[in-house]
Amino acid sequence: MRFLDHPPRFLFFTGKGGVGKTSIACASAVELAAIGKQILLVSTDPASNVGQVFGVAIGNRITSIDAVPGLSALEIDPQAAAQVYRDRIVGPVRNLLPESVVKGIEEQLSGACTTEIAAFDEFTALLLDSALTAGYDHIVFDTAPTGHTIRLLQLPGAWSGFLEAGKGDASCLGPLAGLEKQRAQYSAAVDALADPERTRLVLVARAQQATLREVARTHEELAAIGLRQQYLVVNGVLADAAAANDSGAAADVLAAAIGRREQAALATIPDVLKTLPMDRIALKPFNLVGLDALRGLLTDTAPIDAPEEIASQPLEAPDLASLVEEIAADGHGLVMLMGKGGVGKTTLAAAIAVELADRGFPVHLTTSDPAAHLAETLTESLEGTGATLEIGRIDPRVETERYREHVLSTKGAQLDDAGRALLEEDLRSPCTEEIAVFQAFSRIIREAGKTFVIMDTAPTGHTLLLLDATGAYHRETTRQLGDTGLQLRTPMMQLQDPKQTKVVLVTLAETTPVLEAAGLQADLERAGIQPWAWVVNQSLAAARTRSPLLRRRAANERELIDAVAEQHARRYAVVALQEAEPIGADQLRRLTTATGAPSW
Amino acid sequence: MKYIQVFDPALCCSTGVCGVDVDQALVSFSADVEWAKQNGARIERYNLAQEPLAFAENVAVRSFLERSGQEALPLILIDGEVALAGRYPTRAELARWAGILAVADPIPVTPCCSGSSCC
Repeated sequence: MRFLDHPPRFLFFTGKGGVGKTSIACASAVELAAIGKQILLVSTDPASNVGQVFGVAIGNRITSIDAVPGLSALEIDPQAAAQVYRDRIVGPVRNLLPESVVKGIEEQLSGACTTEIAAFDEFTALLLDSALTAGYDHIVFDTAPTGHTIRLLQLPGAWSGFLEAGKGDASCLGPLAGLEKQRAQYSAAVDALADPERTRLVLVARAQQATLREVARTHEELAAIGLRQQYLVVNGVLADAAAANDSGAAADVLAAAIGRREQAALATIPDVLKTLPMDRIALKPFNLVGLDALRGLLTDTAPIDAPEEIASQPLEAPDLASLVEEIAADGHGLVMLMGKGGVGKTTLAAAIAVELADRGFPVHLTTSDPAAHLAETLTESLEGTGATLEIGRIDPRVETERYREHVLSTKGAQLDDAGRALLEEDLRSPCTEEIAVFQAFSRIIREAGKTFVIMDTAPTGHTLLLLDATGAYHRETTRQLGDTGLQLRTPMMQLQDPKQTKVVLVTLAETTPVLEAAGLQADLERAGIQPWAWVVNQSLAAARTRSPLLRRRAANERELIDAVAEQHARRYAVVALQEAEPIGADQLRRLTTATGAPSW
Repeated sequence: MKYIQVFDPALCCSTGVCGVDVDQALVSFSADVEWAKQNGARIERYNLAQEPLAFAENVAVRSFLERSGQEALPLILIDGEVALAGRYPTRAELARWAGILAVADPIPVTPCCSGSSCC
């Protein structure tokens, strides 16, 4: 593996949830320890099975792993770190200030920014030369701070306001004000990150166009702030596994189709990634639990059982059509699909829209995925069927840019350079995009009183609670101004009403994506919104395949699908992984129809 | 020299970009505070989301919150006495409170109170 060739002291693995960062970080740590190095492995994965893998309870303290000489590990839970931070701020006033005030403060400190900054705070000590890390040759992190966090820490304006005085003008750096570290420590940590002699960033992707595009964005953002030593790892490549070992794959239609899709994605890899040293890791049939599995990740594939030995009980799970049936029964309403990037929200939104249009309902489908070509083919393929499907498009980049421009040209006009830089950085926060997109969507939401409106995105609970605070203020203002006959409903009120809004959480049958979806659900519940259903998308367990490798992975999915059905979802559906990228009405219809039992 | 304390509402970003709209008053006020400080004023700001203890420990602020709720913030105290609530002061008001006389920048003129004795 090239990314492990002469590594510097700090190794960071980054990529979206489910690509295998933690597994690769663990395997790298084991491999480096095997050549006699002293390694500290730092995991921030909320699904961290690092302890499980090594058979040791780890937690938030450095623990030596007896099974692997030279290896120690540390688990940081960013949520817990954020909670500790919240408690430190809110704890002392809990009985002193009115309860509503305390709740308001807690909400302000419940955003993604707080979690991220709190996690970075935990990192800081590890990036500095100190007694804590002195004995280690390499420190391996299974995550990396985002560009937004690092840029904030680099802004002189941010420091002058907060950390020196401990108070002052607020920004997204706000959470830092209450943290213990000093400016010098944060600066030193940022310097270590930006030093190619000390830090290597490994971008982890899958052989999928969307993931590669996202990784390209991360690459550019982090390179721009100095993290220039970057490597690319494409994980879970089926074609590589098939070539090496999975002889059944060649004859299997699904495996062949996935292989072609991977080739296409790798052939059109974004230009900015082409110059990076790249490694490919073959798809493995096993879950990466246990030391042997980890050792096998970076090396050749282990032999796979013959297909007949793999349990092949057909999956019995509800299909998407059964959910659409219930949605259709109400005759109108807003359906929002929510989930992390790459789980297929746009495709499923289109499938639900087509199914409703087929049933004769007027439907408005709105997508925020600028790369979705499905919308173009959709109107054509429905022509002449009498179905009324209207397609709207909201480009998050355009909306965010418009919002940024508006704010900077109006509200930021009189600021000095430092103030303006800080405002600009605040506007690059992930919250800004979410708010800008949601504002654009809320114009369309009003239609949902009469027709069906299907959206491929939804705001987080945190955003809604913040927006609603403003909504409450607006109501108050209206009341004070006297009855103008204007009835103001906040977005939150509409979303909380299950008669009007159904939130569908989309996930994949993999550990991290399921946990991320559960996190989104908890966040929505905080805002009084109970997600209506879960959809497990791109499931192998619901697909037909003869490939031993894919069947082995399908068997691994069962446990997660059961967890969704029994622990997380009020109602759910499973959608099979498709042979072809679902484009056009006919292929989308296949997603809604019964998954049925695979006929092997 | 009078001591001005500003008790801000809870905001994760005081520029307010996390809200539905950026609050112009907040952006301008931040600039005004900076200006007043450079002219020697003693001003401290407290963000409810970051320093709730400062709110809880001050009797005037705490009873204000109990009475009017956090929606009624900001609250401005001068030497510990309530001077203004529900909105941010203008640059002119800040200057008057802080006794800033020689002003380099033009002060936005409020219709009634600027330098006259009508109120």
